[in-house]
Amino acid sequence: MNSDGQLYTIEGIAAGLIMIMTAYIVVNSTSVYTPGDTHISDMQLEVLGGDALNMMNTAPNGTIGKNPLQTIVENDDASGFNTLFLNTVNARAGSGRDSIQFVANVTYRMTTGEINSTPLSSSTHPLTGGEHAVRASEWIMVEKQFPDCHASSCRGKHAVLVEVLLWRD
Amino acid sequence: MARLNDDAQWIVLMGFVVSFSLFFLAIVINQSTVVGQTTAESVSEFPKNDIRGVRDVIVQSAIMDDQDPFKNRTGVQEDIRALSLGRENSVVSFTSTTIGQHTYTDIHYNNGVTAYNETYSSP
Repeated sequence: MNSDGQLYTIEGIAAGLIMIMTAYIVVNSTSVYTPGDTHISDMQLEVLGGDALNMMNTAPNGTIGKNPLQTIVENDDASGFNTLFLNTVNARAGSGRDSIQFVANVTYRMTTGEINSTPLSSSTHPLTGGEHAVRASEWIMVEKQFPDCHASSCRGKHAVLVEVLLWRD
Repeated sequence: MARLNDDAQWIVLMGFVVSFSLFFLAIVINQSTVVGQTTAESVSEFPKNDIRGVRDVIVQSAIMDDQDPFKNRTGVQEDIRALSLGRENSVVSFTSTTIGQHTYTDIHYNNGVTAYNETYSSP
């Protein structure tokens, strides 16, 4: 048999393998970040919002008095919530502020047993529906009369949820 | 290239080595997206804030009573159950029993993915 072309054959096989491997590695090394894959930034925003609400739901200096969030909800203090919440979530190390926007609602149980929400506060940019918003919520106990019931028996304590939609503008 | 011209083989080999190492680095970076993704998903899925919040209001309600409208224990506990189910997608069940000086509150939380059970005792 003639074995002249063996080296060419081996080189051909090696080149073929290298090309296949290259193609495989090239295809593998790209990742496409689709709009559905935004869990990472969503999670960060959600944790940030939850932490901010948690902080507002803590009484100053560990006293047994009402905490800022309870006072805000009981007095329907929209601008107080706006200031405190935006200052907390938009704070950054270094100069400049972040541009997180929000809409906050208070969700409560009506005397009929149904669930209803009243608007609490929102930032200057309105929610148009096109934003990619995440939700953070906080349980609080308030002494407040909600609009569904005007009887004096409804003035007592209620467990309510403060729900916030957050998005980065 | 065999037998044609054997010059510059080292240069060609180094070229291969460099380009392969670049591709391997790209794969490592590619994997980091996947890792971040799964981590973020599991963080979002675990209802830490939810459990802490509902536990906090349950414990507060356990030491309330029904004597006047400002201490609306039954209403508050009904609020907790209704809002958990309606807004937090979780089933919450809790009962308090008093034995001697101590009040024990059994708290059960389940949102279909995570279950949490606790017996809170006070004082």
